Amino acid sequence: MLTPKRRRRERRAAFLMIAPFLFIFTAFFLYPTYSVIALSFTDAPLIGEGNWVGLANYTKLLGDRLFHTSLWNNFYFVLLTVIPTTVIAMLIALAVSKLKGRMQALVLTLFFLPYVLPVSVVTMIWSWMLDFQFGILQPVIAAITGKPVPVFKNPYWVMPMIAVVTVWWTNGFNVLLLIAGLRNIPADLYEAASLDGATPWQRFWRVTWPLLWPVTALVLTLQLILQLKLFDQVYLLSNGGPFNRSYVVLMQMYREAFQLNHGGYASAIAMVLFLFIVVLSVLQFQLLRLGGRK
Amino acid sequence: MTLKQARNLAFTGLVLIAAAIWTFPLYWALTTSLRSENRNVSDAGWLLDELNFGAFREILGNSKLPMWYLNSVGTSGIITLIVLVTGMMCAYALSQLRFPGRRLLYLVVVGSFMVPVPALYVAQFVLMNDLGLVNTWWGIILPQLVVPVVIIVYKQFFDAIPKEMREAVVLDGGGEFTLLFKLYLPLNWGITAALAIITFITAWNNFFWPFLVVTSEDMMTIPVGITQVNDAFGVAYARVMALALLAAAPVIIGYLIFQKRVTEAVMISAGVKG
Amino acid sequence: MKTLTRLATATALSLGLAAPAMAQVEVEWWDFLSGGDGVRMKALIEEFNAEHPDIQISGTTLEWGLPFYTKVRTSVAVGQGPDIMTYHLSRLPLALEEGVLSPISAADLETAGLSTEDFFPAAVTAASTDDGQLMAVPFDIHAIVAYYNRTALEGTDWLDADGNLTGLDSVEDMTALLTWAKEEGFSDPLSFQTEGGGGTWRVFYTLLRQQDGEMLTDGEVLAGDNLDKAARAIQIMADWRAEGLIPEQAAYEASVALFSGAKSVLHINGVWEVPTFKDSAADGSLGFDWFANEVPQLLDQPATWADSHAFAVPANPDMSDETRAAVMTVIGWMEEHSLAWADAGHIPAYVPTVDSEAYAELQPNATYASLAKNAAFDPRSKIAGVASPVYDAVDNLIAPAVHGFLSPEDAAAQMKDQLQSLLD
Repeated sequence: MLTPKRRRRERRAAFLMIAPFLFIFTAFFLYPTYSVIALSFTDAPLIGEGNWVGLANYTKLLGDRLFHTSLWNNFYFVLLTVIPTTVIAMLIALAVSKLKGRMQALVLTLFFLPYVLPVSVVTMIWSWMLDFQFGILQPVIAAITGKPVPVFKNPYWVMPMIAVVTVWWTNGFNVLLLIAGLRNIPADLYEAASLDGATPWQRFWRVTWPLLWPVTALVLTLQLILQLKLFDQVYLLSNGGPFNRSYVVLMQMYREAFQLNHGGYASAIAMVLFLFIVVLSVLQFQLLRLGGRK
Repeated sequence: MTLKQARNLAFTGLVLIAAAIWTFPLYWALTTSLRSENRNVSDAGWLLDELNFGAFREILGNSKLPMWYLNSVGTSGIITLIVLVTGMMCAYALSQLRFPGRRLLYLVVVGSFMVPVPALYVAQFVLMNDLGLVNTWWGIILPQLVVPVVIIVYKQFFDAIPKEMREAVVLDGGGEFTLLFKLYLPLNWGITAALAIITFITAWNNFFWPFLVVTSEDMMTIPVGITQVNDAFGVAYARVMALALLAAAPVIIGYLIFQKRVTEAVMISAGVKG
Repeated sequence: MKTLTRLATATALSLGLAAPAMAQVEVEWWDFLSGGDGVRMKALIEEFNAEHPDIQISGTTLEWGLPFYTKVRTSVAVGQGPDIMTYHLSRLPLALEEGVLSPISAADLETAGLSTEDFFPAAVTAASTDDGQLMAVPFDIHAIVAYYNRTALEGTDWLDADGNLTGLDSVEDMTALLTWAKEEGFSDPLSFQTEGGGGTWRVFYTLLRQQDGEMLTDGEVLAGDNLDKAARAIQIMADWRAEGLIPEQAAYEASVALFSGAKSVLHINGVWEVPTFKDSAADGSLGFDWFANEVPQLLDQPATWADSHAFAVPANPDMSDETRAAVMTVIGWMEEHSLAWADAGHIPAYVPTVDSEAYAELQPNATYASLAKNAAFDPRSKIAGVASPVYDAVDNLIAPAVHGFLSPEDAAAQMKDQLQSLLD
């Protein structure tokens, strides 16, 4: 049906339309990806040429205790955020979806509001609220633990508190995704379940949960990728301390590249994180899909 | 029936209280910023009982906040514009046109979704330096221009438009660009606005990259400026909170105005793989 | 109006439009002076700008310490540094290692209207390379001092007839004073930045030097009994902490607020906070009478941690002669006006100011001037100085030991190991 002339025209138009994106993508995404890989095999400083050192950076990473600590802290943080934030978001989404009209809009606005704040505003507010000497939350902490705690200076509190701040900040996004998912569940399914005499609890597990699963899986995957990229909150709240208990991989990348001027080593760190995230997110998504089929 | 109403009321009340607790940090920032510094370091209670605008006056008068606003608005605006225009064109080609490498391109776009962009920052910094763009708007902008989700969402919406609608334009002799800008785009203003808002907020709130690529105070964006520049303050909790609130004001106000669109934007991205 | 003009200029520049030719030389200035002294520096800059229509300083105050020096390093590497910056002389060895400074030539000094004889010889040595090339122009010597709440101590044995601290000749004396204050209701009797960072380092180093201990001798970290002295210095702080005599994990701002909020009777901090207390006493918001003395000698010999601020020019091959001359004019002017800087608590490095009558009458400077001969500077090494590896050790080892997370002996031993490995 298509004449060769029309096909040529279509191709030309297609090329013109993808060209701007392709150019940007190649220059500022593909090329940097290539250079990070290339740099990771050299001893280059941040700015300037380096020598090929083969796998030396990677073998050094294997024995780098700070890197082990950072990796562990990344995983710990994922543990502290991904599932809790999904659970909290789901509770909020279920509650909000029960409300009607303006009340629903108001409550949703309040829960979503923190998400639009710049990270530094979030950390400034929480640092002040948790200030050891003058923070408004210290009496609350004292009521629970018996005494005030300098949370970002305490090795046991630091990661959980950064997780709390992060969940507060990013949770609204997940709430919205889950509400969208809930709205897509046909109402007649609930009616049918009610007619069968199902309790609310049963309705949740038999209707809501399985039908919401694809969105839940999406939330879990997005959260995993997002939380592994942790840097801003740590840099602004605890700077990796105390005694590296909140040091994370991107923090180490930043330190090696911009404070110690080791561009090559920093690139190797970035590469490892890169691989971790790709492998983990592919794995998780596959697993979650399987989980959903059952 | 009245029992059910009472239960509903109690439930609504409970959710409202939870929402109020959730928003407490913002309330507390406001309360702190409206108190005198000395009151903030003595136990002064939880109520908003003082309206002292001294901290705000001082911040507005002495800080470089206006410069940072300008930088944030400018860079985020340009990013949004370029991301949307290049994204919709690419999505249109992927959705409506046949060309060699189409599947591969789509695969690459979807795959790049998973790449942790900060892992590229070292290389992007080197690149920006080679291009002489450190400490410039373009240095802030260029590495933020790849937003695969925009293409994915546009493509889905373009896919859903019935083919018959094309024919009328094609019969009038309209080319592909006419089709995109006269038909597909107008049919998708809603989603365009939603994507624009999300892209804008993301760019506005980016901390890590502008933090790396900008060292000069005059070029800083809001999130970077408020953490990197220190004015001589002494005890300054009210001023710090005033600064934080002023920095957040544009996004908060913008969100409150475009609330529905923002909500929609996020929900649409849920449809991506859902 | 000024902001508007700058907004317009910035917009023009960022859009790639050429800025109109200006007869003015703009000098980009970076500092880290966010304490009370920052206010004085801002005033000095404004005064300079008002007096010099041909040179305009555009000043930026960045986050003190590591963030500042990271920005300097990165921006110099990409050729985007400022034209002039403040720099800690304790960090000069690291600066030389990083290659971020441009040497100050004799001709430069001449442009500034200065000569090396105008400065204290020790300051010039600290600002020069090992073979005598000047790398920065010294501006001051600053140290920590003991701020105290005179009102609270009125009528006790710890104040002499002139209202100065007295009777604090040993750690036990100090502990006695602090215990008394605790009973009087001061929740954190002696405040300093106990969370780590500069505040903890300065007190630690003072206590180490008061035992005649050395961080570094012939390339060896904490050699011989210096290790025990370091452990003792940490132990003293840990004991105070265990008794609740110093605050737990106080951040810098909090440590200042504890003193100004009358929760502490003593406050050990740099002289740069003198303006903070001066100003709040002047506007009546302080609520008590304050003063500052040299840090008391609690151990074998008098010693007080000290450092110097200097002006430095970042390495930049593209700097025009015109800008460089303007920078030197700025430096010369600042040195001549360093009496205002003395008002910020500092001891100027510029001898003519220190010799002036006005300076001799300045309080509390005149009272604590005695510390100059007991000043203990950081060891001259790439492991020491502001935001150096020593600071990492303070955060990761000393501060935790002060708070009881590990023993002072372990902390000192690990510090020795970690720092030594960086030297070998």
